[in-house]
Amino acid sequence: MGSFGRFLLKRSLQGVVVILGVISVLFALRYVTPGSPVDFIAPLDASDATRRRIAESLGLNQPFYVQYGDYVVSLLQGEMGYSYRSRTAVAPRVFAKLPATLELAVAATVVAVILSIPLGVISATRRHTGPDYAATVFSFLGISTPNFWLGVMLVILFAVQFGVFPTSGRPVGLLDALGHLVVIAGPERGWALPLNVGPFLAAMQNWLLHVTLPAITLGTYFTALITRLTRSGMLDELGQGYVQAARAKGLPTTLVRYRHALRNTLIPVITVVGLQLGTLIGGAVITEAVFDWPGLGSLIIDAINNRDWPLIQGSLVVIGAGFVVVNVVVDALYVRLNPRVLE
Amino acid sequence: MSRDVDRREFLTLAGTAAGAATLAGCSGGNETATETNDGSTATDTEASEELPEPETREEHLQRTNRLVHDDAPWIFLNRQYSVYGKSADIEWEARRDERIDGYAIEPTGSKSSVTITQSKMDTGLDPHDHRETTTDNIVTQAYEGLLERDREGKVINQLATGYERLEAGQVRFELRSGVSFHSGDSLTKEDVAFSINRIVDPEAGDLESSQSDQLAGVTGAEPADGDSAVIVSSDGINPVVFALFATYCDIVNKSWIESNDTAYINSNMEGTGPFMLDTYEQDVQVVFESYDDYYMDAAPADQLTIQSASEPSTRVNQLLNDETDIIVNVPPQNISQIQNADNASISAVPSTRIIYNAMIYNREPFDSVEFRQAMNHAVDLESIVSNVLGSFGDQTGQPTLEGFTGYNPDLDPYPYDTDEAERLVEESGYAGAEIELHTPSGRYLKDLEISQAVVSYIDELENVSASVKQRDFGTLVDELVGDLEASPSFYLIGWGNAAFDASQTIIPLLTTGGALTSYNNDRVDELMDQAQSMGGES
Repeated sequence: MGSFGRFLLKRSLQGVVVILGVISVLFALRYVTPGSPVDFIAPLDASDATRRRIAESLGLNQPFYVQYGDYVVSLLQGEMGYSYRSRTAVAPRVFAKLPATLELAVAATVVAVILSIPLGVISATRRHTGPDYAATVFSFLGISTPNFWLGVMLVILFAVQFGVFPTSGRPVGLLDALGHLVVIAGPERGWALPLNVGPFLAAMQNWLLHVTLPAITLGTYFTALITRLTRSGMLDELGQGYVQAARAKGLPTTLVRYRHALRNTLIPVITVVGLQLGTLIGGAVITEAVFDWPGLGSLIIDAINNRDWPLIQGSLVVIGAGFVVVNVVVDALYVRLNPRVLE
Repeated sequence: MSRDVDRREFLTLAGTAAGAATLAGCSGGNETATETNDGSTATDTEASEELPEPETREEHLQRTNRLVHDDAPWIFLNRQYSVYGKSADIEWEARRDERIDGYAIEPTGSKSSVTITQSKMDTGLDPHDHRETTTDNIVTQAYEGLLERDREGKVINQLATGYERLEAGQVRFELRSGVSFHSGDSLTKEDVAFSINRIVDPEAGDLESSQSDQLAGVTGAEPADGDSAVIVSSDGINPVVFALFATYCDIVNKSWIESNDTAYINSNMEGTGPFMLDTYEQDVQVVFESYDDYYMDAAPADQLTIQSASEPSTRVNQLLNDETDIIVNVPPQNISQIQNADNASISAVPSTRIIYNAMIYNREPFDSVEFRQAMNHAVDLESIVSNVLGSFGDQTGQPTLEGFTGYNPDLDPYPYDTDEAERLVEESGYAGAEIELHTPSGRYLKDLEISQAVVSYIDELENVSASVKQRDFGTLVDELVGDLEASPSFYLIGWGNAAFDASQTIIPLLTTGGALTSYNNDRVDELMDQAQSMGGES
């Protein structure tokens, strides 16, 4: 196994330990958080006997270690227990929400990356000019604008006033849209590019219309952050000796900027993008609420408000695992871009 | 079994177990025998005004309301309104009981489908395994009960065609014929008896129903011999039994329930209602189709979709953008926006929920009746209703809402009078008191804002200072349902009473041993005990 393989294995094992820690901490939290799930299931005027029977039916009368053991065993079996409130299995419910959250997080990241890196580069290469000032103002606004306000404003402007976008919802998922291609261009029909792409395009258009405003809302802060990061990184790199040397050797300015300086600038940017993607997976709660986007954020908020611990734990374990996976991937990319990390 | 024991068991099953002291108080039976714990006599008013002894159940409830008004264990705040936004493409009016009946929605023009946006989705589709209005609004499109209520709250027949009392502990429901479940199975009396038993008896349906306390005093049901009817048994006379059946106990298909597991029952539906389940996306939406074989005319809408948006502004935008037809809980600040729109309007109705500030009767300074009355005089309720609630609320002066059985029309809200409030505070001996109001935020309409207004009015008194403490609702409830000694002395909470009967507010909130009680008054206990042993129907 090469050094890169050993690095990946080490990181992955560390990730497993982190996930086990997340599971244990989450389980312990239920015992230090005030408010019993029974209070949210039973009516306010329920008798003590009813409360006791509900607690027993949920297994809450079992000792801590029995409940913890049962939970870990169920996780190892690929299950996450049953919701206290709806009595339905947690795992399918969480995984049904995961695509919506991932779509929104990735779409916000795409919006941010597409806008922020060119803005950052322009800002750095045209320092103290109009475009630089404009990018700086945009960055400050983006960082300081609360996304619940921005979301509501975008809806009022582009949905209610102009009718360009729908106000909320996610009638079609990205995978559902892509599924049209799979059905048409499956093995039985051959793998040639299908001619009839109408349903696919219609579904994609529907998805894009619904995801655009939430992605902009969620991605604005992120865009501003990466713009600032790219600008300062680019300025640092442009002042380095190797850039001066490349210019002295007569390399074109464009080549020096985009092949050499930008590439080195992107190393910390990728790290931040990766970390932010993990944050977006778990942190899109407000945006999901404003746009009624059916992701994990709204599920977790409801679960917390109802003290539905199996659902809270299931959702957060998945988010924690997602965070770990993203970090491992980012570390791997980082190594690829800068092999000196392994030394 | 003695009559007294019957009463004791009834109150226990109602989740409001009256203690031994309460029942002992019953035997007293005269005005001079009872004295409140704070030393003031709750019967002073009765004696001084020479009120006659109440005779009927209604009179007992009204007298109780008078005692509670005078003794002021609460700051009586407001009756909450249910405020909906509705599209110009439908004809529909809001109901008093907060439910949205899809059968009553009529699409206009070429429209055939209707969409409702709630604040939350269901917590599962089992009609016996929930207690929230948001879930009710979904399951009651497909499931029906024996009785129901009309828009004004009057009890009417649904799957029953008639009902009667047989004796003190038994009532009989005659069943409608020609009713079928969505699977095509015919409704039988065995289904009805099973449905009732599934709620009240954990052994009968393998379910610990959170609705068991809502069928207060009901002990079971069995099919009647020969006829299409069921006999329901209760502990004691159970005067509210028909009111309870008009609110709870949806009828399920016995064989369907017995042949499916909990998860399946919570994600599928098999009722007799006007709509049958088409698709169920948990936490996202529920789509119903009109049930062609419904025993009455088919629903005006061919398709009914129920979805949710937790943010009020999102719901409002959906309505204004023609993406939905009905939205719930329109906040006061958005009402004019909807009223001014061409494609939408407001439908508002007084709800069954009262908002109040409880003051624990045996804690300083609230152990003084003068201090409690002073707090009621200190608050400008009219201004709160007008400015905080946008006039979508009613002032209250007693625990029972207007239109409910037992409402006392002679009682007005306490007048706003700061001079009187300050005088009463001095008289109480608690001048200089500092009090803290515990309040949830976001649980009830403008709850935090109401609390802030209440506290600012009290703080304006020269001899009392007040502050507000925001609380997580779950944590607050945890304290309120536990040991009374551990609960806050002064808190805001709301109480919905879907039975439209004073007893279902007073027993749990204001009698000794009530599940959420903040008050102890032997005379109130006695009157309620007597009222619950009388047959007057609500």
